[in-house]
Amino acid sequence: MTTVTKSGILTYDRTLGVAAMDARGFYYAVALAFRSDGRLFVQGRSHDGDTRGARITVMDYDSGYYGDFGSYGSGDGQFTWPTDIALDSEGNVYVTDEYLQRVSVFDSDVNFVKKWGTQGSEEGMINGPSGIECDADDNLLIVDHNNNRIQKFTRDGIFLKSFGSEGTAEGQFNLPWGLRVAPDGQIYVADWRNDRIQRFTSDGEFVAAYGESGDGEGQLYRPASVEIDDAGYMYIADWGNERVQVFDPDGGFVQLLKGQATTSQWAQEFLDANLDENRARSESDLEQYHLLTTDDPHEVASQIETIFWSPISVRFDSEGRLFVLERNRHRIQVYAKSM
Amino acid sequence: MTTTTRQDIDLMAHLMRRAAFGATLDELEQKAAKGYEETVEELLNPGDPGDLSQDAIRRYHVDHSELRQMNSAAGNWLYRMITSKNPLEERIALFFHSLFATGYTKLNQARCLLNQIDMFRQRGLGRFDTLLVELSRDPAMLLWLDNNESHNGHINENYGRELLELFSMGIGNYTEDDIKEASRAFTGWTLGNVEYMAMRAMKDSIWPYSRIAWHFQYRADDHDEGEKTFLGESGNFNGEDIVAIICRQRATAEFICTRLFQFFAADRVDDDGQAAIDEMIDSYFASEYEIGAVLRTLFNSDYFKSDAARYARVKGPVEYVVGAIKTAGSYRQPTLGIDKVAEQAFFMGQGLLNPPTVEGWHEAEEWIDSGALVERVNFVANELADTSQPGVKAIIGKLADANGGTLTPDEVVDNCLDQMGAIAVSDSTRGALVDHVGEHGNLSLSDDSSEQRVGELLGLIAATREYQMA
Repeated sequence: MTTVTKSGILTYDRTLGVAAMDARGFYYAVALAFRSDGRLFVQGRSHDGDTRGARITVMDYDSGYYGDFGSYGSGDGQFTWPTDIALDSEGNVYVTDEYLQRVSVFDSDVNFVKKWGTQGSEEGMINGPSGIECDADDNLLIVDHNNNRIQKFTRDGIFLKSFGSEGTAEGQFNLPWGLRVAPDGQIYVADWRNDRIQRFTSDGEFVAAYGESGDGEGQLYRPASVEIDDAGYMYIADWGNERVQVFDPDGGFVQLLKGQATTSQWAQEFLDANLDENRARSESDLEQYHLLTTDDPHEVASQIETIFWSPISVRFDSEGRLFVLERNRHRIQVYAKSM
Repeated sequence: MTTTTRQDIDLMAHLMRRAAFGATLDELEQKAAKGYEETVEELLNPGDPGDLSQDAIRRYHVDHSELRQMNSAAGNWLYRMITSKNPLEERIALFFHSLFATGYTKLNQARCLLNQIDMFRQRGLGRFDTLLVELSRDPAMLLWLDNNESHNGHINENYGRELLELFSMGIGNYTEDDIKEASRAFTGWTLGNVEYMAMRAMKDSIWPYSRIAWHFQYRADDHDEGEKTFLGESGNFNGEDIVAIICRQRATAEFICTRLFQFFAADRVDDDGQAAIDEMIDSYFASEYEIGAVLRTLFNSDYFKSDAARYARVKGPVEYVVGAIKTAGSYRQPTLGIDKVAEQAFFMGQGLLNPPTVEGWHEAEEWIDSGALVERVNFVANELADTSQPGVKAIIGKLADANGGTLTPDEVVDNCLDQMGAIAVSDSTRGALVDHVGEHGNLSLSDDSSEQRVGELLGLIAATREYQMA
């Protein structure tokens, strides 16, 4: 069921990206962020056996490719378990790394500038930095997920304040993941293991919580990321349910997206160069739901290529199109609002 | 309430080395107090595994979510072995992984291999006929042994042959015609989108959007509906009928019971061992082919409990590594490096999801050559010498509670052997360990170097001949 809202319902637009160990494409991409000129920065991650994913791919909505930067490791400008990416008003880039316990900073020309962060639980220390956002004052909000709190720093890493603690009560967290600063300055947090989105004022005062555990409409299972539009609608990467949901400003269910990927430009270029695979693929039915022997959404998504698999980051571009990043499919599905 | 004796502890330690991955002294005491047969029933009737949640693993280990790479899938399985409360489920999955050996190198599909392992976990203690039907439908097995290329009128005999030779009866108990007829019966058992999936597997293609996990498809239009004669029986057989006939054979019972005996009881079968196998065969038929019933008979047999069965098996690399990690208490949370542990097991000779051939691994003494032994000792020495690990800390804590925290070298060695799972060692081994500790005199836990000394000793114990055995 879909409901026409003030913000409009989402309709599928296109797919971007392709799996690629190097250069053009993504390899276990975990986060995305837009620069003011519309360029999209996609943060990739690695696994123990192959470190090539730890880089940032720069591209745009029209599949333009502008290179990549960063690499795997623990040195300057390198990442081990990069988790999220944010850009400030000047185009400087900030990357959290939950293994190295630090934030790496690159300038607008993507040159490494510095890194900061000290592991610990005292104020200003971090333990597992995950979501990161830049607010209107160019301060950084960081999900300090193992400490179950949100911390605010200057761009240079000077501690300003923190809020939240471990638990299930209002304003408490259980291993939170992503966060988003809304256009009105309020802070939305994907409270991962509490299966909810929490909203706070810009000062960190609890406002409301949305969602409950489950796989029904309006229910969440391990949400990873949230995006907010001007009207206060929430667009949630319902990661554990392998789907995206839209909630109204009061948390009412609006829309459910399961994914409907098509062939991206980069994917088509691969298939055009590999005609045998192209032919076999075109003769296949990639939506064989009738042959599935499981209803586990994770397993279903592993077998049905068109639907979301590990939707992990949701962001609007300046045109109001929602970009849904899928970590396990190494691609982005784009949805536009139709009024 | 019965009193727990030293013999009870030693017997429980023996059972847990075989049906689990070892146990701490505290765990052994609890289980011994509960009783041997009760513990056997707990092992055979697993509940919630209570293992490290896949949500947590997938959040941090990106490829444990996609499961594209072999070592990621192997690492994922290691987490399960390390943290599951149902160790026999993991041991039986490991047993069938070697018996029905299916490997990554041909398939390039780690997720499907791990799905096969999960099927072993779910079905491995149940009826053998059910397991063989599931195996015959398993997408990884279908491609591994080319049943996707076996068609009505143009059979590929590979699966039919190995089903009889390696998976159920053993050579000499069937004819070449039986192989052909079995293969005819399994025509039409294939994968969805088989051409595309087989092509991607062959080319190791992850493009454009990475792997697509396989699912089974039965193609009635490609199944041979003709009359078949198999092991003396005739009819319009399908695959399920072939499995049913196989499981009725005495040769099948002898085959599976002997392999179970060698995995869980002793590498070599002597006369007493053969008597135990005969009891297992009786259970096989009496229970209508239930593997759990066969194992119950084995674990409760006089042979299994006897001295002859103690330390009569060489530990495979995976059980060795998992046992040491459980003792150390490491990898209980998502930790960078678990995939490297899987790689270490490969260096020791047992790469999970990567058996050397369709025959699986050559076990027993062949697990240990000089290179593999060095890999084993180095790995566990590092793991157990890390005094920051919770399991090592717990052992140190136990020592600190003993004798006011000051122990003679004999006391240190005996305590550590006990805490690591009531390990029995020869006098010469024990003497060497005591001499090593004695180089620095008594151990006082208040000394700065004491924890390091304990860590070193734990590593040394794990390097002994006895610790290589189960």
